[in-house]
Amino acid sequence: MEYTRKFTDKLSVEQMKIELLNTAYGNGDTLLAKLDPRTLFIWYLFFGITPWFIHQEPILIGMFAFMVVLTYFAKVSPLIVFILCMGLLGQGGYLLIVSLFFGGDAAVILPLLTLTLKLSVISLASIVVFCSMTPEKLSDGLLKIGVPGQVSFSIAYGYRMLPTLLEEYHHVFLSFRLRGKAPSKRGFLYWRAIVYFCKIAILSFYPLLLSMTKRARTTVEALETKGSFYGFNHPQVKKLKLAHLKLRKRDVYFLTFSVVYMVAVCLVEILL
Amino acid sequence: MIEQIKLDQVTFQYPGAEDPVLRDVSLTIEKGTFTAIIGGNGSGKSTLCKLLNGLIPHYYVGDFSGEVTVNGLVTTDEKVAKLSEHVGYVYQDFENQLVSPHVLEDACFAPLHFGYEDYRERGERALSLVGLTDYADEFIWQLSGGQKHLLALAGALALDPDILIIDEPVAQLDPQHAEEIYHILKKLHEEYGKTIIVIEHHTEFIASFCREVIMLDQGKLIWQLPVVEALQKVDELMQHQIYPPQVTQAGFRLNQAEQAKLPVTLAQAIPYFNQQEASFRLNLETEMIPVEHEKKAIAQLEDVHFSYKTITRSRNQVLKGIDLTVYEGDHIALVGNNGAGKSSLMRLITGLVKPGQGNVLVNGTNTKEVPPETLADFVTYVYQNPEQMFIDDSVRKDISFFLKSRKVPNYETIVDQVLEQFDLVDLQERDSRLMSGGQQRRASLAIGMAMNPKLMLLDEPTANLDIATRKHISALMTKLKEQVEAVVIATHDMQLVAEWANRIVVVHNGKVIHDGDRYSVFGNAALLARAGLKAPQILELSRALGLNPPIFTVDAFVEAWNKEGSKHGVYA
Repeated sequence: MEYTRKFTDKLSVEQMKIELLNTAYGNGDTLLAKLDPRTLFIWYLFFGITPWFIHQEPILIGMFAFMVVLTYFAKVSPLIVFILCMGLLGQGGYLLIVSLFFGGDAAVILPLLTLTLKLSVISLASIVVFCSMTPEKLSDGLLKIGVPGQVSFSIAYGYRMLPTLLEEYHHVFLSFRLRGKAPSKRGFLYWRAIVYFCKIAILSFYPLLLSMTKRARTTVEALETKGSFYGFNHPQVKKLKLAHLKLRKRDVYFLTFSVVYMVAVCLVEILL
Repeated sequence: MIEQIKLDQVTFQYPGAEDPVLRDVSLTIEKGTFTAIIGGNGSGKSTLCKLLNGLIPHYYVGDFSGEVTVNGLVTTDEKVAKLSEHVGYVYQDFENQLVSPHVLEDACFAPLHFGYEDYRERGERALSLVGLTDYADEFIWQLSGGQKHLLALAGALALDPDILIIDEPVAQLDPQHAEEIYHILKKLHEEYGKTIIVIEHHTEFIASFCREVIMLDQGKLIWQLPVVEALQKVDELMQHQIYPPQVTQAGFRLNQAEQAKLPVTLAQAIPYFNQQEASFRLNLETEMIPVEHEKKAIAQLEDVHFSYKTITRSRNQVLKGIDLTVYEGDHIALVGNNGAGKSSLMRLITGLVKPGQGNVLVNGTNTKEVPPETLADFVTYVYQNPEQMFIDDSVRKDISFFLKSRKVPNYETIVDQVLEQFDLVDLQERDSRLMSGGQQRRASLAIGMAMNPKLMLLDEPTANLDIATRKHISALMTKLKEQVEAVVIATHDMQLVAEWANRIVVVHNGKVIHDGDRYSVFGNAALLARAGLKAPQILELSRALGLNPPIFTVDAFVEAWNKEGSKHGVYA
């Protein structure tokens, strides 16, 4: 009972909201968070794509180690790491079962591990980058590299609205509980209870839509009066907004270090 | 005097609407005034204000005729962006007006996007004007409701507009914070020379702070008058569902024939009534009835502690050792300032959240042992925001939901009765979310009533309502007393507290600091100050006049006065 209580405490909507916000905004003081968004884009472009084209396990392992260290320094929320691990294990496990079912043997394990390794590198790289950038920083970075203002703003704003959305959803969900009737028997493996919760979890989305639309109306009006549409069409506003973005020495150091590290890993692979 | 705003024969109809929402309105607002716009729901108040910053007709493209001039600019010829430098607007649902995650960023948003080099200084200056400088680096989620409102105001001030429009500034605030925001508006008006326009239902604030009043009804301008004159028109105001300050009402009812100038503030009322009849003092028997606590307990809270995690992962201790028992026949008003822990206390009784320490027993059941669905058979919780209760697509279905899920036989008859009782028969097929504020509130109460609870918990049942709807809800609440074994309301509405409750529990900083009745609460000035409460105006008047026991309602005041008067032959 105590364990379930602790577990549900971790999974509560409140907790999710906190993790989400911390992932987005909470890591402003880490080493990576101080880098310019463009540096992170370039870095991510490499580590997010190249693993697909690398088949040498030692290199992948080298990259993986690098990611693990960075994940540690980026202070990624444990919940996110946990979800990621579950996802990777689930994915690998499911492929393994499917291949065994269709007549594969132990030989499939190695390629599956390679695939999982690739996925891990890419996922960790994504997490590191996105945990190190607040939505504002991401938005400014995108604006700087020429993405239209409307798009970059929507990203920042979408994130700003997420906690409100979650809260609203939570309220509706609780309304269902306060007026509904939970199944009196839990059923085998709690299946009745699970079906009940899934049902209200889905039903809660409908009332949410309308109330969010009503909220959005005020927001759009407010944006109009606060000049955001004026800003999108005037280059000097963009300049003013992005004046704080500067490539500094630490950006150069970081990229140089990444290059040197990858070269070293490749050399080790060749020498082996 | 300089004409700052001028409307010339303005008519406007929203696209898709059947009737114009403003009809042939012409008026002038002078520079540096403090104006209140009044009128019932749907009278066109918000529409009028949206004309001034150009949202109408630029953003809402409806049928527009006439001309609106603001600071010499004709709104049809200028863009919203240009007009925003002249007019700042704070919405009623101001939370949706905040667009950035950090306080300072949000305050800077407008000047930055209009390309001002000094946007940061502007934002900082605006924050200091509303007293939020210390919160500049906070997340907006960490602010209280009152602080968010101030931030929305700062966002509007950052462009340094001459004109500020605030839609219902005090609707969601406790009495203390309500005073605070008006003092800030007063400062902006007096020291910085801003023209201030408020949409306001609370005439007591209008009397204390505003200079002139504009009254609208069904899209038409009824009159525009200096505040004292406007509030004298008691009959007309009441006809349009606006209630003048309590002292004015009392003066009016005691003095219909003489047509003397009625008092509109407490300060005016004291000499007014003293002068009327200085020689007599009421001395009625105390009608204090001690609350008997030998009755059945319905809910018990035993040394309850409750905390929740904040964004910074630290815990915020909301309740710190609450001991409270709700008995059969209790009509409890739970009072205290915003953030005192009232809502948390109610949610604990519903079983939606469990105490960190201590026990909550409802009908003898410990809430830790059962899901909220089980407790719902005894307890109903009506949310502060009715929209969060609407989970189906029509009023009728929403009211039936509980009964249907419990397969109550003949539930249709119960639903019919409830619809009738809450005046919702004509609205039963409508989607609850698309109704007006007052209708929504009635629907949410009806939903609670149909659950036939032993204990009903209501969170701010009269907030955000115009006064007429508020009276209607108060009347319904009186009926509730007869049908439910105990009712608990959390409220800032001191008139409701004084008129309705038989037990008042004052919560402050997570603790119960007083458990008594209206005499013990409103008679204790130190307690009121500590908990951020304010006695109803009529009570303050009766106390200032030395009436004993104090009087809580206008009706009682008039009656007491007449009784004494006839005894002395004054009004005979």
